[in-house]
Parts: sequence; structure tokens; C-alpha cells
Amino acid sequence: MNGQYASLLIALPLISAFFVPLIKGAGKNAIKSYLVLITALQTGVAAWVFQEVYSTGKPMIVMAGGWKPPVGINLYIGHFAALFVLIVAAVSFLMAIFSFKAVNVEPIDKYAMLFLLLMLGATGMIATGDIFNLFVFMEITSISAYALTAYNKTGEAAEASMKYIVLGGIGSSFFLVGVALIYGALGTLNMAQIAQLASTLNPTVAQVGLALVVFGLAVEAEIFPLNAWAPDAYQAAPHPITVMFSAFVVKAGLYAMARIVYLMKDVGSWSSILKLLVILATLTVIVAELAALRQRNVKRMIAYSSISQIGLIALAFALGTQSGVDAGVFHMINHAIVKALLFLAVGYVAVALGGAEMENFRGLGKRMPVTAFTISVGAIATVGVPLFNIFWSKIRIILATLSVGYTWAAALVLAASVVEAVYYFRLLHVIWFEGTGERMHENMAMGIMLLFLAALVIVIGVYPSYAWNLAQKAGNDIFNVAQYVKNVPLMGVGA
Amino acid sequence: MLKRSLAILTLLIIGYWLAQGLAGVPFGQDRMLVGHYYLEHVKEQTGAVNAVTAIVVNYRGFDTLGEVTVLFIASTGVAALLWRKKKKRSAKTEGSVVLTTGTRLLVPFVILFGSYIFIHGHLTPGGGFPGGATIATGFLLLYMAFTTYEIPHRGFEKTEGIAGMSYVLVGLIGLGIGGYFLFDWIWQTWQLGTDNIGRLFSGGFIPIIYILIGIKVGTELSGIIDNMVKEEVSE
Repeated sequence: MNGQYASLLIALPLISAFFVPLIKGAGKNAIKSYLVLITALQTGVAAWVFQEVYSTGKPMIVMAGGWKPPVGINLYIGHFAALFVLIVAAVSFLMAIFSFKAVNVEPIDKYAMLFLLLMLGATGMIATGDIFNLFVFMEITSISAYALTAYNKTGEAAEASMKYIVLGGIGSSFFLVGVALIYGALGTLNMAQIAQLASTLNPTVAQVGLALVVFGLAVEAEIFPLNAWAPDAYQAAPHPITVMFSAFVVKAGLYAMARIVYLMKDVGSWSSILKLLVILATLTVIVAELAALRQRNVKRMIAYSSISQIGLIALAFALGTQSGVDAGVFHMINHAIVKALLFLAVGYVAVALGGAEMENFRGLGKRMPVTAFTISVGAIATVGVPLFNIFWSKIRIILATLSVGYTWAAALVLAASVVEAVYYFRLLHVIWFEGTGERMHENMAMGIMLLFLAALVIVIGVYPSYAWNLAQKAGNDIFNVAQYVKNVPLMGVGA
Repeated sequence: MLKRSLAILTLLIIGYWLAQGLAGVPFGQDRMLVGHYYLEHVKEQTGAVNAVTAIVVNYRGFDTLGEVTVLFIASTGVAALLWRKKKKRSAKTEGSVVLTTGTRLLVPFVILFGSYIFIHGHLTPGGGFPGGATIATGFLLLYMAFTTYEIPHRGFEKTEGIAGMSYVLVGLIGLGIGGYFLFDWIWQTWQLGTDNIGRLFSGGFIPIIYILIGIKVGTELSGIIDNMVKEEVSE
């Protein structure tokens, strides 16, 4: 089949979101089923793209409008994009099913549209090969995220969304100024051409432009000084949306950051940007872990834990070596699975028992054994116990950090892991050894989804080589810029 | 005081830093790496006389599709957050006779002019977004002058959805005919209006897309206005 059909990844969610107003009258369950159907279709397309890219080993270049880059905009679906587009679609599919139980606030038709567009935005951010188009997709992602954060219409949700919208607005305007500066200096917006011309860039311009772009993306990517919105937003958003935030929205921001930083590899002031990123990433890990320690709300606690894991990924990307990037991508995959599992389970408990406070988790092991079991798997995996998937990626990140010589960063991150273990084991203690209760009915569909994710965690933990292979290929896609430039069929404009 | 002076100091430092960066991009130098290509080929490749709309809709049409989506999200988000079971206009005073009569006379002209802007996007400055905003201004006028005026919601919402779908559909037809998403099949495959450059029936699919965008933007902004001026009624 023609590679251009990969553009369906963008076209399908878009046309389906525009279609929702027409079936608005069909009732709540019809709209929710429609959401499941569309996300299932999207997963199918993504699986086809994944299969195609990994079997041929060549990226798919979608040229919108038939114009060759840099005149037109191209999508670059290489190993990384193919893998994460599949993760985005699959997680969205699971969350569409979860929405049946978790979302009962009106208006459901608007929820369905925003849900689809959030998925679209993340897909576009990961797939695009043009820096201004990246901005457009980032806006799609973040504006639908603002609206979805406030969707529950409580005071808390409105406040969280307000924080997010102000920080996000400042971040994206900085990003835009950065893009303008880079365009002003180079005269092109195409990522491949930017990478080609990066060495000719004036070092001051490059430093300012790159810093602005990184600063703008850091809001989406939840890097330390700019992530204050995240725990509030995670806590206040509808449960399926929290899963999507943690499983792929933040990953899209992180990936975009890594991609742009590595495009500018030839710039003179590159290493100073990396050093700054290492410091910020380490701070992200430590601050988030310490904040998680004293949370009484389990959803908020896991939100902080998610931020600290993101810091770990950012650290891996900021090392500037092949092994670091590979480890970062591997951690991205593992974190997407584990955090989807944890937020899904906690969200389910909150729906069933009315709130995610620590008290509700007392005796959960006796009341909802399947959910409690999967929470335990997720918690143990996050801490990084061997035979669970995160162990492998964490150890690779730490080894990569040590090999570059950042011993202090590795030590601090490891110390933060101890803190993580403390609060996760406290949660496990509350679940299994405190309180009593009658056994409750657990929903079948939920149980299957939870067990499926838990099984993934353990399978990757026991046989990490397949996932590690995927991660290496995807990491190479980010790190090996020369190959990236070679893959994009640039026409000889101005060069 | 201390807070304010610290803020001013920080801003000055950031400003200086930005100015340093800007100084590396001298004003007035020719930096049109891709720009020249657009200027030289815009007429024969897209059939549009207005280079800006040709770039925005045709060469970089993907961005415009995204921007249309952003606006759609904004209107959907406002509608979702201000959603109440029953809502009503809460305006108290009717406009004066001069205002209402003036509005009555003016609105058709505003809407006519808005349509003119988006239909002639490939020939004159403007296009779908300004045209749509002009049309929404017409509806804003109606809201301001009459206390009971309401847009026909159902029709508006459906029109908005259909216009957006048609945009994606035009792109998908391009995928079917030309092999690329958002491919300009009217100009490049059918070559309709090739001897007509500079007149209304030219410009490939640009006028069609701009009409769709104009309708979509007009209905969307009117919907945002409608959501914002209404208040909840307690039962």
C-alpha cells in the first residue's frame, strides 16, 4: 500500500471529531461507542504503519499536498514516530472504553470531540517534520488539554486549568518567538533542512533560539520550574484524561524537545544547553519525589511520581549520547505502560468508591482484589524491582549517566528512587495489611484491561530484549540526525 | 516594591538577552531560502494571485487545517465549560431605536462583505479567517442590539461540523486522485481555470477551502459569543 496513506493517522481523528455534532442527538452511549470505534480504527491504522516501518526499516514520508519539503510540510514517520503513534492510539482506545464508566458529566459530545483532538495533537506532534507545524500540533494538544482539565467543572478543576492555561500560553509564545528567530536566521522551517544548515548558524542566535524553544516545550514536557500546573491538572482532570496526559501528552512534548535539541547538534553552544537540561531534569526528579512523599491523595501522589519519571527520561535525553537516548526511549515505553496501568486502576477505584483519598484504599486487597493486585504490580514496577520492566530502563539510564561522567546526577536520581520506594510501599501496606471490607463486584472490561497492562509489565520485565530492540531503533531515529536528513527528500531550494 | 523592581530587573535581563539574539539576524537581509521558490512558482503551480493564501492553503495547507482545528477546539472547549442544562440571555435593556434599526440595516451588508472576503481569498488580501470573523461580527451586532436574539444552534453546530468534514474530505479526495493528502486535484489534475488566472474561477481548490473555512469560522465565533452572553436559569 502507498505510504501516503499514513496521513490517515491525522485525517481520521480529525474528520471523526468534526462528525460528532451530527450524531449529537443519538444519546450518551452511542457517542461513547462511537469513540471506541474510532480509536479502534486509529489503532488499526497505527498498527499497519508500525508493521510497515519496522519491516522495511525505512521511514514513511508523508508529503502534504504533494509538495516536496522544504516547500511543503512533511510528516516523518520513522521508527520512533511509528512506535509512539501506536502507543498513543492504543492508550486512547483503552481510555475510550474506560470513559464508559468514568465520565458521566455532560456534555458528552464535547468530551468526545476534545478526546479525539487530544489524540490527534499528540500524534501530529510525534509525526511532524516541520518546526512550525510542530507548534500548530502543540497548540491543538495543549488547548484541548486545557479544556479537558476543566471538564469536571469543579472549582478545583477550574483553578488547575487556569494555572495550566497561563503557563502553557507563556510557554507557547516563547516557542513561537524561538521559531521566528530560527526562521529569521535560516530562512527555512523544515527540520531536516534546519539540521543541514545548523552549523552555519550564528552561535548567539542559535543559543537564544534553542533556549526559547526548549523553554516553550518544557511546559508541556513538565520540566522542573515549569511543571507546577501538572499535579493539579492530573488530579482534577477526568480519570481517562489523566491517563492520556501521563501516557502520551507529556511524551510528545519530551520527544519534540529531544528532536529539536538533537537537530541543533552542530551548533557551537550546544553543550551548554545540554548541561542546563541535565540540571533541570535532575531537579525535576528530586523535587517531584519529595513532593510525592507527603501526599494523602493517591492520584496526586502518582501524578508526582509520573513527573519524576519524566525527569528521568529528560535526563537520559540530555546526556547527548546514543546509549542515553536509547535508554530514554525505553523508559518512555515502560513508563507509558506502567503509568497507564496505575492511573487506570486508581481512577477505577476513585469511580467505584467515590474519591482517590488514601482512606478509600484501606483494605482494597480484600474489597477489589484484581484492581489491588494490578496497582501492586504497577507500584513495584515503578520503584524498579528486577523482573519488572522499569528496572531495565532505569538501570540503563543510570549506566548511561555514569558513562558520561555525571556521577552526582546518577547518585541523586538513585537517592530519589529510595524516596519513591518509601511512598509506594506505604501505599501497598495500606492496600493489603490495613482495614477490612466485603468483596465488591469488579467490572469485567476493567479487569481485562488492567490485567492486560499488568501482563505487559511483567512480560517486558522477564523478556526485555524485544522492547529494548524497538527502543534502540527508535532512539537511533532521534540520535542519528545525519540519517534523518538523508531520509527526507529535500528538493534543492536555496541550498 | 522589592518584588516589582526585581521583576523589572529580570525583564531587562531577558530583554537584553533577546536583543543579543536578534542582533544576529540583521534586518533587511535577504533570508528567503524557501521564499523565492514560492514567489516564482505560485502562479503556475497554484493558480492563485495572492501568494499568502497560496502558501497558507496550498503549500502549507497542513498548518491551516491545524489552525482550523485549534479554533474548533476553542469553541468546543468554551461550550463544554459553560454547558448548563438551561441557559437564557440575561440582557436587561433593549437597544435604542437608532441601534436596533441601524443593526437591522447593517447586518446584511456585514455578512455580504464577509462572504466577499472569503470568496475572493485567492485574489485579494484576506481569506477564510478574516471573512469568517467579519460574519461573526454581524451576529455579535445582533446579540448586542436585541435582548432576545439567539442564533439557531442546531443548524449552526451541524454546519460547523459539515464544513470541517468537507475540508478533510477535500484533502482525502486529493489523496485518492493525486496520491497525496491535501493534494490540489482541481488545479493539478483537472487543470480547471488554467487560462483564467486572476479571475474568480481560478486558484484550484483555494476558493473552495476558503469558503468552507469562512463558514466554519463564522459559525464557530458566533457560537462562542452565544455561549458567553448566556447565563444559567435556575429551575
